[in-house]
Amino acid sequence: MTSVWLILRKDLTVLRRSPLLLGALLAYPIVIALLVGLVAGYASSKPRIAFVDEDGIPPVVTVGGHHFHIQTVIDDVAKQVTLVRMGADEAARELSSGKVVATITVPPGFLSDLVTTVHPPSLELRTGSGGLAPRVTQQVQALVYQLNGKLQAGYIAANLQYVRLILHGGDASFIGRHFKVLGLDRMDQQLDGLPQTQRVATIRRFVHIARLALAQTGGALQATANPIQLAQPKVKGRTWVLSAQVQSYGIAITVTFLALLLAAGAAAAERDEGTIGRLRRGLASLGQLVWAKSALAAVVGLALGGSLALVFGVVVEIGGVTGGEPWARLPLLLACVLLAAGVAGTVGTLLGALAREARTASLLAVLVVLPVVFLGLVPRGAVPLAWWVSDFLPFAHAARLFGAALYDTSPWHAVGIEVAWLVGLGAAFGVLARLSMRRLAA
Amino acid sequence: MTEPLVRALRVARRYGELEALAPTDLDLLPGETVALVGPNGAGKSTLLAILAGALDPSEGTVETRARRGWVPQRPAQYAKLSPRENLELFARLEGVDDPAGAAAELLARFSLPDGARPAGELSVGNRQRLNVALSLLGGPRVLLLDEPTASLDPIQRTLVWDVVGALRSDGGAVCFATQNVEEVAHADRVLALQDGRVVGSSVEAVFG
Repeated sequence: MTSVWLILRKDLTVLRRSPLLLGALLAYPIVIALLVGLVAGYASSKPRIAFVDEDGIPPVVTVGGHHFHIQTVIDDVAKQVTLVRMGADEAARELSSGKVVATITVPPGFLSDLVTTVHPPSLELRTGSGGLAPRVTQQVQALVYQLNGKLQAGYIAANLQYVRLILHGGDASFIGRHFKVLGLDRMDQQLDGLPQTQRVATIRRFVHIARLALAQTGGALQATANPIQLAQPKVKGRTWVLSAQVQSYGIAITVTFLALLLAAGAAAAERDEGTIGRLRRGLASLGQLVWAKSALAAVVGLALGGSLALVFGVVVEIGGVTGGEPWARLPLLLACVLLAAGVAGTVGTLLGALAREARTASLLAVLVVLPVVFLGLVPRGAVPLAWWVSDFLPFAHAARLFGAALYDTSPWHAVGIEVAWLVGLGAAFGVLARLSMRRLAA
Repeated sequence: MTEPLVRALRVARRYGELEALAPTDLDLLPGETVALVGPNGAGKSTLLAILAGALDPSEGTVETRARRGWVPQRPAQYAKLSPRENLELFARLEGVDDPAGAAAELLARFSLPDGARPAGELSVGNRQRLNVALSLLGGPRVLLLDEPTASLDPIQRTLVWDVVGALRSDGGAVCFATQNVEEVAHADRVLALQDGRVVGSSVEAVFG
């Protein structure tokens, strides 16, 4: 262990004396994490969807006496998607080219069906074949659900107009035909003018019961239209940038980038400087070199990951937001960062040994770390193969480990699973790195 | 019969199809200096690295009975560390009892600059002197030198040969590679290599 410690201390000294390299190593992964976060957040939360209006819906539509400003309604319900109006041909082109992930088409006759309520109008959704299709379908279903919710108020109001007509009577029109309705109130008055027989008394009771029942129609319609309503009281919570997922992914991306690049460069540098031959002469074994480079990645990763966690914690405290315990879980998080960075370091050491030259190793590390990170960012359901592959790389486990360590109410089960994965991956990549070190030393 | 301090038995090194060193035997006896001569690519550096333990042979074995010091052809030191830091680090790795004292002694002996200036910024000659100094850490009884005087001025060359002479007088062994035929005079015997094979025991065997 003395050799490992001495080489680690040397590497830290070398790193400290390379301020430009150190600055780039610290800043680069943070910038990448921010960019990935922004792009991933934007792309996943607001997919672009074409809106094709083949029915020529006017700016204002009246349903059941309610006036709907269509664009306002769309803006209101389309929080999760970006709807872009375009023609059918253009929408088809953009869907096939992937510029939009789906098209929603309002077919001819939609408005007529909507206003007359003779049969339900329908929208047409077409999605691409990409991995986002299931998510987009869900989001459009949610959008239609919300639209229905808003329209139901209009429909219910329209239905209640007919109920009021039955109750109080008056002029009405239906599918273009105009007619007069007597109404239960005036029917009662008509009954007063008739001889008060048993039959009239029976009809009067029916009128009375019908009036009572119809008086409850409004509430009943509301209840049957929306049996369960989702209440969303405003709470003081974390903004998107402070969410648990962003924190865990941000730290994981940063630490993985740093650890992989640093270990790859440090391992290959031993050959560049010719020192690996000197070390091999019984001063440090190839296995100890792997340990030393992984330890370097772990220590520097801990410093950077810990700093990021502190910054997040301070911002959370200053913002006074709830939903996490940034300080109570810090020791657990730091232990997790140390492990994850060390495991990423073994991958980096393997790359450095294979590359055999520091500049090549750095380039190779950048080329490898990007897919390693992006594979881990692919949602589970989107591309199952990507999810499966990412299971055999450290990034996805690091992100899940950090998330569990920071925010799970009972983190130990998830932490245990991810730690086991990381230890296993560390051992596997460590063995490969040790074997590849022979190539580095040759 | 005197036991060799280092014995190489049928050591060979291949890189894929390329045979850098054919199976070779070599004994380094106490008080002996052996010169390896041959053109570029003859296998001198490969043989020395294998004898030093810096390179695994593809086949054959190396038996050692003494601590070895190795001067590789290209200076092997950390460019971002100063000469003192390099010496202290390798002294610690060698298990030297007083790393700071050993570093100070070698700095003075080889007239190396003792400041914060990193080794990577030193002149080629100073880097080579540091390279030689590093090989002496831990008091080796066997020195394996790969063109040790390249880039050195005449005074420093003399210093290196003084080190070699002192070690031989103390019963140590030295094996050095050179392309300078005049330096063969420092050797007790010569091993001439060409295309990875021993082809004779004189300079003439390879250089006519």
